[in-house]
Parts: sequence; C-alpha cells; structure tokens
Amino acid sequence: MVLEIIVMVKQVPDSQEVVIDPVTMNLNRSLTRNVTNSADENALEAALRIKDKVGANVTVISMGPPQAETTMIECLARGADRAILASDRFFGGADTYPTGLTVAATISKIGKFDIIFAGEESSDSSTGHVGPGVAEFLNIDQITYASSVEYEDGYVTADRELEGGTETVRVPTPVLVTVLLNSNSPRMQTLRRKIDAVKKGMEVWDHDKIGLQPEWVGVRGSPTIVRKMRPIKERERAAKKIDIAGLGDLARELYEKKILKLEEE
Amino acid sequence: MSEFDAIVIGAGPAGASAAIRLASSKKNVLLVEKSDPPGSKNVSGGVLWGSSLSSIIPDWEKSAPVERFVDTKSVAFLTQDSKIGIDFSSKKLQQKKTGYTVLRAKLDQWLARKAKEAGAMVINGVTVEKLHMENGKVTGVEQGGDVITSDAVILCEGANPRVAIDSGLHKRLSDRDVAIGVKEVITLPEATINERFHLKSGAGFACEYVLGYLQNGVEAGGFLYTNKDSISVGIVVSMSHLRENDATHSFDIIESFTGHPYIAPLLEGGNMQEYSAHLVQEGGIGSMPKLYGNGYMIAGDSAGFSFSNGLVLQGMNYAIDSGIIAADTFIEASKGMDYSESALKLYQDRLESSYVMKDMRTFKGIENVTWSPFVHKKVPAMLESLMLNLFMEEGKPKKHMTGMLLDAMSENDMLKASSIMEAYRMMRRM
Repeated sequence: MVLEIIVMVKQVPDSQEVVIDPVTMNLNRSLTRNVTNSADENALEAALRIKDKVGANVTVISMGPPQAETTMIECLARGADRAILASDRFFGGADTYPTGLTVAATISKIGKFDIIFAGEESSDSSTGHVGPGVAEFLNIDQITYASSVEYEDGYVTADRELEGGTETVRVPTPVLVTVLLNSNSPRMQTLRRKIDAVKKGMEVWDHDKIGLQPEWVGVRGSPTIVRKMRPIKERERAAKKIDIAGLGDLARELYEKKILKLEEE
Repeated sequence: MSEFDAIVIGAGPAGASAAIRLASSKKNVLLVEKSDPPGSKNVSGGVLWGSSLSSIIPDWEKSAPVERFVDTKSVAFLTQDSKIGIDFSSKKLQQKKTGYTVLRAKLDQWLARKAKEAGAMVINGVTVEKLHMENGKVTGVEQGGDVITSDAVILCEGANPRVAIDSGLHKRLSDRDVAIGVKEVITLPEATINERFHLKSGAGFACEYVLGYLQNGVEAGGFLYTNKDSISVGIVVSMSHLRENDATHSFDIIESFTGHPYIAPLLEGGNMQEYSAHLVQEGGIGSMPKLYGNGYMIAGDSAGFSFSNGLVLQGMNYAIDSGIIAADTFIEASKGMDYSESALKLYQDRLESSYVMKDMRTFKGIENVTWSPFVHKKVPAMLESLMLNLFMEEGKPKKHMTGMLLDAMSENDMLKASSIMEAYRMMRRM
C-alpha cells in the first residue's frame, strides 16, 4: 500500500508587494504578483521528505481562481504527483468556514488519505483556520504548528513549537499536520521538473464534481461579515542623513530629547 | 529525436517574438525565462518604436499593454542651472503613432502570454545554466544536471548574455560595451500628468537628456517618459566612467537628475513605485558576437542590437525583428532538417538585408559621439552661454546671432580647428 499524502496549498499575493487601495480598503491584486503561500511550500517539502524516505503519492489541492494554476504547476515541479484545483465561481468570496468545507469535500472525493499537510497559516489573511477546520470536517486528529514531521509504520511523530518549549507528539494516521513557516528549506524546481509539470497539468474540479451545493460554499456559505477595514498608519521615519563626524552631536541631541538613554540611568 | 524543435532562452521582446513566430508555425518550442513573471527583471526606459509586433500580433496596438503614444518627443541639455531643449509635438505623430511608452513588467508578461496562447511552452523562474553541445553543435540546454534537447537554440538573453558568454559564443563584456541604466517609476494621477506635460488623454511625452552638469569627466544621459499614470525617469551612465571615478555613484547621478531644478517639478508629489538598475548594451557593431553557428542563433540585446544617437534610444524594435528573423530562419532550416552553421547563415543574410544590420552598419561608431566630452560638456555649456547672451537684456548693444554663437563657441573652446573637425566627424556619424 502506497502512503497517500495530501498537501493543502494557497496562492496569495506576494506580501512584499501588497498594496491596499486607499478608497476601497481591499487588496489591489492587479498590482501584486501571486505566489505560493510560503508556509505551504514548507508543508509540501515536509510531505516530499516523507515521500523520499518511504515512498508516497503526493497530491496537492487548492481552492482558488484559475490563475492559481501557476502555484499548482510549481508544486508539481517540486515533486508532487497530482494537482487538483477546486475552482468554481460559486467558491468566490468564501471565508474560512466554507473554504475548509470545500477543501475537506475535495479530499473526501479523492478518497483514501493517510496524512494531510497544510501551512500553519496564509500570509494574506493569517487566520490559521482552514487546516484545523478541514481536520474537523473530516473528523480526524490534527497536529498544529509542527516544526518537524516524521512518518513510520502508520504513525506520525512531530515536534510542536510552543511557548517555552517543544512538544513531541506521536499520532496514528490518518492525521492532519499544519507546518510552521520556514521549518524546512523547500527544494528547487528544475527545468526538467517544470517541463514535466506543465505537460502533466492540473485537474480542475467544480462544485458539482466535488459534490457541494452552491449555497454551502463561497460568499453564501460564509458566516463572517466584515463591517469595516482600517489601514494601519505608517509611522513617518525621520530618514536623517548623518555624517560620521556629526555622530556625537546627534547622540547629544537624542539624549536631550530623551530618546537615547545612558546605560547607568 | 529532440524533445523540442527549438528552445528560446529569455522571454524579453526578442525571445517572446521568436517563440510566438515559431509556435504560430506549429513548431514545438520551449521559451525559458529566468524571472518570474517575465519582465520582472527588465528595466527598459522605455519607448517601443515602430510596429515590429504587427507581423506576429496583427492587432497589437489594441491589445498590448502600451501606456501612451509619443506625441511630444524632446531632447534637452541640462547644465547646473539651465535646460536647453527642443520639443517636437506634431499632429502627424498623433495620426501615425510611431512610438509608445511601455512598462516592461507588463509588456513582457503579455508577450509571454501571447507565446503561450500561440502554443509555446513557457517556463519562468528557471535559469538555464549552459548550452548542451554534441560534436560541436548546440543540441539543447542544461539545467540542474538535466539536458533538455532541441534541434536549435535561440539565445535572447538581453544585455548580459550569461549563457552565451559561458558557452564561448560571446566575449566577456568589457566596460566599454555596456552602460548602467538606473530607473525610477514614479506614480502620479493621469490627470496630473496630462496637465503637467500638456498632453491629451492617451498622448505621451518622451525626452532624452544630456546631463551636462556632471563633474570629473563623468558622462551620463537622462530620460523621462510618461506612462498612463506614472513617469519612468532615469539615467544611463557610462560604465568606464563609473569605474574611473570611485567617488561617483550611479544612485547619486539619478538623484541629481530627478532633483534638477527643471526635472524635479515634473515629478513633484509622485510616489516612487519602482527603483531598478540594469546593464545597457552600448558597444555597437564592434562588440557584436558572431550571430549564428551550429545549432544556435543570437538575437536582441545579446546580439548587440541597440541604437542610440542621443536623440532617440531604440532596442526593443531591433529585438522583436531579430527574434522574428531568427524564428523564420529556423522554420526555413527545418524544411531540410539542417541546423548547421551553413544553414543558419541565412539568419545573418536576412539581418543584413533588413534595417536591423543596415542601421548597425550606418551608425558604426556612433557610441563615440554619444559618449564624448564634446557632447556632454562643451555643447551644453556653449548652448547655455549662447542662450544667456540672447536673452539677458542689460541695456548693452546687442550683437548679431552669428556673433553671439561665435562668442559662445569660442568661450567653450569650440573654434579650434581640432574641435571643428571633431564636430564634423560627429555630425557625419549621426
């Protein structure tokens, strides 16, 4: 029996380029490039390491618009065997509840699974809801915030980073694991793998294929109502150019303004 | 049997155009680009002159992400305190749109998408390491320990052709072959730009500057192009001058330019959205590599196809056309399944009979004009003193124009026989 691993991934706007439209308060997605959520890359790498060790079938799944194809191809190019994108206009505007439901239903539709990996959270909304939500919908155990993950004989052993220590847990499969950002170094994509990934391509599943009613998903299935959004005011920086020779004067000025303190005070 | 008919390295205007042409002719083509998405590493000013794209994308003017058509083209000399320039605005430029300002991040992505739509496989975010050679013939590319095979490779790597250099097809770049371009994209509302530059909606302003105020013999040009709701502004500075003057930095030069009393007001209130730098091809025909060989062709900036006479800077048009000619050559060669050097000589022949190589030959040595103390120091100073003499009214008797011109020229050492000869030689090259 080949181990079946599923990795949940999300395409997000590049957080270094995010621009908030000052009028609508929404992300201006036309100006930002889309990338794979970084923690999801760590989740995929964790899955691929298990695949390298004991052999596994790795399927990446995502819910998103068709342009998430670049992320799906990227995951295939890193070493995933299959890519399924749940994409349907009915899925649009979903909060974390119907997103979890859609992903869980997609996984059920795939059938057998032993381990589900997800990133700890997405960089664009940072809720960390969807991974645990999927585990609940599927009624399986979950290990959150894992920094290292091993698999042996039907058990997953993972280190969980907690405040003040590390907890090591051992859980029988099937289990869902959310993986910490930067907990490993994702492997490079090579030209060979990318070509093969493009040739292989992704599958696109709509609500009908997954077996979901339109009213359960997307904006209609979302209990969250956003009342108001406020941008964070950026702090003005003094941006002062100083001469090395003027360092003493600057220190005195800062000391007098009580910005700089002397060690003994 | 090769995996691909052709592999094109680099998805700039040259590479994308080659791939579009090849894929449109049902060739199995792989377009590999190191940046992700295509265009994100490119820094053209830029104005796309001419309509080279029309032969591969007939409706390009409607669908391409162009910013504004050039309605006013200017050239100007800047001194510390003055700007002396010529503006050319014309209804004729409105009727026959000959140049469009573009942002390469958008244009290159669009071109890559067109290549994909035409049927090319487009892969971004991977850097080809080297060419794969078998019996002295290029038969593919190597990356990450793998070989991807093709009947021929078209190299369109841009101004810094790493693969061609590493494969011995292009000599190492010297300071004289390249300049450094530094560019800022500054956002401003469309209406503000229209008002500031006296432009109707859709119309644009493009200007090249000579920065005549720089010290220590450093020579640099400036440019300012209006986009829809941003301004591309930047400098091109000679690499050898930067190298010779440790105290001079390219970022100081762009700051002095954007802070110049007659440039700063044009940018006032804008936000810097992008700041980038790139090598600029400068060497001219003298530093051109051999453009073809067994199983390969070189197009675009990598081939040295760029043109600047100080009045206008061009490169994308040559890139597109050389890419198309390389693709056509491949298609022709594929009929006899012969991609040897002798078969691909057709590429050189076709370039020679097109404007691409004709321009390169006509303007041989032009870089000695555009990079010269005469243009960068003497002319701006002379023009400034001439203009000051013309317009300073101090209650003194005036001279004829010719007298003033001679005075201004003499003040700046331009009446010596050697200077006159120099000016004459330059005029001929332009």
